[in-house]
Amino acid sequence: MKHSGCAVNKERHFSCEDCNGNVSGGFDASTSQIVLCQNNIRNQSHMNRVVTHELIHAFDHCRAHVNWFTDLRHLACSEVRAANLSGDCSLVNEIFRLHFGLKQHHQTCVRDRAILSILAVRNISKEVAQKAVDEVFESCFNDHEPFGRIPHNKTYARYAHRDFQNRDRYYANI
Amino acid sequence: MADGGGWRPPRPCEAYRAEWKLCRSARHFLHHYYVHGERPACEQWRRDLASCREWEERRSAEAQRSLCESERARVQATRKHALVWALRQSPPADWHLPLPQEEKDQ
Repeated sequence: MKHSGCAVNKERHFSCEDCNGNVSGGFDASTSQIVLCQNNIRNQSHMNRVVTHELIHAFDHCRAHVNWFTDLRHLACSEVRAANLSGDCSLVNEIFRLHFGLKQHHQTCVRDRAILSILAVRNISKEVAQKAVDEVFESCFNDHEPFGRIPHNKTYARYAHRDFQNRDRYYANI
Repeated sequence: MADGGGWRPPRPCEAYRAEWKLCRSARHFLHHYYVHGERPACEQWRRDLASCREWEERRSAEAQRSLCESERARVQATRKHALVWALRQSPPADWHLPLPQEEKDQ
């Protein structure tokens, strides 16, 4: 985030609030603030995942002209990326949700959770949300910025950070 | 691409070894199958590790060429799909501005 010009300050960019329903968090682009739903976040692991998910939205807001409120495809793209890269759709989390599947199930989960996230913030039909996700899926599922890979666990995250630290050498020598 | 003078492998050889080792691990097989529905392809990491070591030992021009080609292909693969949005030239102007006063007062 800092490298992209959006250094994160805990007091300014995070807000812990009580939320309606079972929403875990959100990113408010109009105030550049991540909202964490303190009444719905269950444990540290869930917290880590929610913070990562919302930071991906914040990162997209920082690096791109995301028309959050006027272009459903942009919202869909960021939700696909957040579901894909935050750990929302890990095998373990899906099993806890009683969604059983192995071969390529991650993609099914990403689609479904992106649609759910869109429906949580837009008053539209499931079909419209699904259409938007379908349109952007190929591009957005394969956009792994800023990690360069899907960070399945701390090892992958460590390798991604190592690549980030090595980026000057990398691009100077290819 | 720079010529032999001043060039070095894009990653330290240890990084190629680590990527190859991770790629071949059972855990990665599971992750990759879960995401892509097929087994991972790790052979290129092995080739890159060999090229890196060959460069370190013999300053082989072929090793340099092979590494550059491999890494460029990796970069190209990440740019295969057109982005949905336009990238910014600079971050949002209001990122660091204080919150609106009424929110602060609540």
